[in-house]
Amino acid sequence: MLADHAKAMHRVCFGAEPSDADLQLLGSRERWLVYRDLVRNRLFHVIGVALARTKKAIGEEAFGRAVDEWLSAGGPKTRYLRHLPSELAEFAIPVWRSTEAPWVADLAGYEITSWDVRHAPPDPTPAAEFAFDTKPVLGTAVKVLRLAYPVHNKPTPEAGYEQDPTTLCVYRGKNHLAIPRKLNPLAADLIDAWQRGDQTVAESVQRVAAAHDAEIGPAFIEKLSTLIADFIDRGILLGGHGSP
Amino acid sequence: MSREVTGIGLGLRYDLATELLERRPAAVSWLEVHPENYVNRGGRYQEMLELGRRDWPVVTHGLSTCLGAVEPFDAEYLGNLRAFLSDLEVPWHSEHLCLGGVDDRFFHDLLPLPFTDEAAQIASQRLTEVRDAIDVPLALENVSYYAEQSADGLAEADFVVEVLERADAKLLLDVNNIYVNSRNFDFDPKAYIDKIPAERVVQIHVAGHFVREDGLRIDTHGEPVPDDVYALLDYTLRKIGPVPVLLERDNNVPPLDELLSEIDELWTIYRSATGADDAG
Repeated sequence: MLADHAKAMHRVCFGAEPSDADLQLLGSRERWLVYRDLVRNRLFHVIGVALARTKKAIGEEAFGRAVDEWLSAGGPKTRYLRHLPSELAEFAIPVWRSTEAPWVADLAGYEITSWDVRHAPPDPTPAAEFAFDTKPVLGTAVKVLRLAYPVHNKPTPEAGYEQDPTTLCVYRGKNHLAIPRKLNPLAADLIDAWQRGDQTVAESVQRVAAAHDAEIGPAFIEKLSTLIADFIDRGILLGGHGSP
Repeated sequence: MSREVTGIGLGLRYDLATELLERRPAAVSWLEVHPENYVNRGGRYQEMLELGRRDWPVVTHGLSTCLGAVEPFDAEYLGNLRAFLSDLEVPWHSEHLCLGGVDDRFFHDLLPLPFTDEAAQIASQRLTEVRDAIDVPLALENVSYYAEQSADGLAEADFVVEVLERADAKLLLDVNNIYVNSRNFDFDPKAYIDKIPAERVVQIHVAGHFVREDGLRIDTHGEPVPDDVYALLDYTLRKIGPVPVLLERDNNVPPLDELLSEIDELWTIYRSATGADDAG
């Protein structure tokens, strides 16, 4: 039966160890082990490109072990090669938190965020220009990342990173690469609020400012204007919805 | 440039896109893209496709809707694919006659179907499902395989023809895959070509492949097209007529000039075999 054949292929390609029974069913032990290598090498390559610094930091062996364990849990759920690294990271980062240096999980999270931002869907076309009395439209390739270690600073120090909490906005720049921009906590919460998209800019500014005990006076408004102009210039903020 | 898909095309790949899109060589008559690389994706890929479409007609070649799937396909993806193909106005779309996943897990590789009546039945049914869902002509592509098939099944060419006939489908004939299979399993590639119903062929693929130390040939799309594959292409075009030919190069991508040399060779064969004098 084709279904039995297919399940045997699945176990041979993704299982921790291919069984003799499956290899016998498929008919050619040596050649099906070739398939196992081809399938796994392709996946390993794509994931290794996305998580290059993480792989280097923990070593090829530990990295390969994480990929092996992830594959033995069933293999990729996505048809898109570009989404493979995120699937691996979802599985591996919790493991690395307990097995690797404390900054490795942050590094992997930063690399995955950068990868996802590069390959995010196309930006929407805003119906109107940015305005305080409408809900804002942000680029699709914008993510706020709160890190305990400044892993965006390259190269990775030989002794690893010292703890230094950092908040970043990672966005897709005009050259299509992911760019990190440091944020203060209030600016990060503003982007979070704008991404939720349930309030106008004015409403979200008032709510976030109140949560941070920040007075909306001339100095605040000047800084906010500078921040918004910078976000628009970088393509983080695209415009506004047509109506409030 | 003509909007008709004819002559010699090239796969639009990330590694060669910058040079290709800047130079826009006239010898390249059309482009092929993998929808999975572009559906719902912005950034450089979106830009590449927009720039490519400006001057070249585009056809699409799927990687993940493999026609041997035991389970029904993901309706949401087929809807996205349909919208993508409609936007590109492709004359046809192609998918592989193989197994690409099991139980909602994807191999990200093309695993061979057994050449059995059951597999032919399932593949023809799936092909019809996909064709109805995307609403454009659908061609299947013959794949390379490395594991010996059971002796009680069909020969590969008979299996491919069986699926084509059952589904009344088009064929993307991969000449390199036939050559690789013929060398790995010791059959006559010309006899395979002779069995193919010419009227069903809408496109041809050529590529290079890797030869391992043990002699096994692996369809890597990472080497130049070898002379034997050029010769088989010549034979195929003389049998089938002026069908558009695509040079596939996905790995070890060289400078564009090296690919253009291969494309020049393909044009020479194409003109000689078909009498065509267009473009190039």
